[in-house]
Amino acid sequence: MKILELKKVNKIYNESEVPVHAVRDVTLEFEEGEFTAIVGPSGSGKTTLLNLIGGLDMPTSGEIIINGVNLAKLKPSQLIDFRLKNIGFVFQSYNLIPVLTARENVEFIMSLQKWPVKNREARTYELLKAVGLEERMNSRPAKLSGGQQQRVAVARALAPKPKFILADEPTANLDSKAAANLIDIMEALNIEEKITFIFSTHDPRIVKRARRVITLEDGSVFSDEKIKV
Amino acid sequence: MIPEIAWKNIWRNKTRSLIVMTSVTLGIISGVLLVGIMQGWVEQRLHDAIYNEVSHIQIHNAEYFDNENILSTIDSLDEVISVLESMPEIKSWTKRTKLTVIATSPWASTGLFIYGINPEKEKAVTEIYTKIVPGGGEYLDINKTGYILISDKTAEILQLKQYIVTAPLIEKFRNAGLPDNVIIKLDSIKNIRFRSPKEFKTILEKKLTGKDLKRYGQTIMDSALDYRIRNRLQLTFSDRDGNPVQGTFRVCGIYKTTNTGFDQASAFVNINELTELFGAGTPLIHEIAIRLHDTENLETVKNKFSALSGKNIVHTWEELAPDAAMMNDFMLLYYFIFIGIIMLALAFGIINTMLMAILERTKELGMLMAIGMNKKRIFSMIMLETIFLTSTGAVAGMFAGWGLVSLLGKTGIHFASWGEGFEAIGYSASVYPVVTFDFFIFIIVTVVITAVLSSIWPARKALKLNPVETLRTE
Repeated sequence: MKILELKKVNKIYNESEVPVHAVRDVTLEFEEGEFTAIVGPSGSGKTTLLNLIGGLDMPTSGEIIINGVNLAKLKPSQLIDFRLKNIGFVFQSYNLIPVLTARENVEFIMSLQKWPVKNREARTYELLKAVGLEERMNSRPAKLSGGQQQRVAVARALAPKPKFILADEPTANLDSKAAANLIDIMEALNIEEKITFIFSTHDPRIVKRARRVITLEDGSVFSDEKIKV
Repeated sequence: MIPEIAWKNIWRNKTRSLIVMTSVTLGIISGVLLVGIMQGWVEQRLHDAIYNEVSHIQIHNAEYFDNENILSTIDSLDEVISVLESMPEIKSWTKRTKLTVIATSPWASTGLFIYGINPEKEKAVTEIYTKIVPGGGEYLDINKTGYILISDKTAEILQLKQYIVTAPLIEKFRNAGLPDNVIIKLDSIKNIRFRSPKEFKTILEKKLTGKDLKRYGQTIMDSALDYRIRNRLQLTFSDRDGNPVQGTFRVCGIYKTTNTGFDQASAFVNINELTELFGAGTPLIHEIAIRLHDTENLETVKNKFSALSGKNIVHTWEELAPDAAMMNDFMLLYYFIFIGIIMLALAFGIINTMLMAILERTKELGMLMAIGMNKKRIFSMIMLETIFLTSTGAVAGMFAGWGLVSLLGKTGIHFASWGEGFEAIGYSASVYPVVTFDFFIFIIVTVVITAVLSSIWPARKALKLNPVETLRTE
């Protein structure tokens, strides 16, 4: 089932001065349950594309349609609510809330969505167990390693059962072992939870694990390769 | 969960938050203490105005009240007394003759209002009988004739207040451990009478060093004070035909209230003796003073007596002591002024702290916006942080302020050096701070308003953040 569609999406920065064409005529479709890597050299437009898909930035032209909803038609406040309900984010530098424990970080979005306490506690435990951190659920981020923090971030993104998860270079700050471990977890959750993962990466070992690889160059889609497992 | 995060956020930078909380605490303590002192003074002035000077209600003949025509006594007295006896709202009442006299001692003279009173009934209305100074004799006794009760100030004017360092007093000072050099100096003024505090103070200043004067001066002044009790005073006034009349009274006691102005003008004798001198068969009643059970009934009682006779005029304490009434009415304004100024000053510190907190967390705020925390929630979180930061300090300040005021309410704060000045305007040199529950409610409301207003600028700053840009920052 198609959950995300990009139609001739362009993003130009500094239009009035020295225009920078960050994303150029990108047209893509994503199906439910995909495990997709977006690759390309630095400056190729990976992060910009993820920001556009996540509704954090608006395209200069073109349309982004998620589950039949055109993001451009939403008011800013509706867009925030839309993100809350439909999109999970994993950031390169984890971006956990430092004053909350791992458990509270995972629970946070569910509390914003007003999940009943019992349900969110059960879901939090389930996810922290899935990422192997059930023993560290009461630790604050400062007490966790980078890999552990990123696993908490993945659990947080998955917690409210979004339509898809956008991960911007999730393994960039991790050593190879932690990166492999994280990708194992993401892949397992993708299969078990049937949640679509779209992540940008430079790491060829991670790319190998993706079932679809989109390569960007100068903001354009250079290749879009589906890998049969 | 937002309140929980807001609470945890204020402890991210403990030192900074504790500095703000401490400043709020100190600000609130200062506010509570300042208002407590002011309230203490106002309550003391109100109490003294009502229970020493004017009572809750006074009735006069309107003509007497306006022109002090001594023949204008209270109209329909029997009817007035009958109502006084029947109204349950009235706790006690007393009737007085009030004349203007010249009081003369062997050394000086002064003008006075002389009140002819029934001492027993007066005790139920005013508290002057509790204000007899140490060594100052006793209150009037209805069974003893020829006595007058005057104030400490009148005694001073009439030079009935003397200072004398006697041999037993020097011995007492020696036993108390006063240094030999001070004893030698006091010995040089032994048995010399000084007829005013100023005269005695001047000689002490000449004899003692500055250090000794500061340390022992007040004790020596207090111990050397000697009232000339039972000394005779001659009162001169006009009788009902306008002829001068003189009467001689012995001083039975010296009183002192917190209002020098009242003290200087008021002396008391038994009512019947004044009536006799004035040449009237029955006492001339110029004034009836009433004490109520409850001040809530002020207007009811006033209206009742106003309706009795058109010739009489009825005043409440608020009309008779407008200074005290005004102070009482202005208390709310003082709350606003004191706490307003303190909170305004603190608001800048709070805003600065919150702006720093926002600046340090731009990336995190951007992340929160990205994952779906809307503007209302971001605003609430920052507002709650500001409220928690401010109210934690405020609660500590209220408890500490309350504790301090409770302690000082028992021990009092004594402004002995400025006593004369305070008493000249009706205020005691010793203040017992008081704060009411209402004031704490006022502080809570003010603190919350200050916190909400202080959070607007930092919160708006946070809401203007662009998630994409903030997430890009390191």
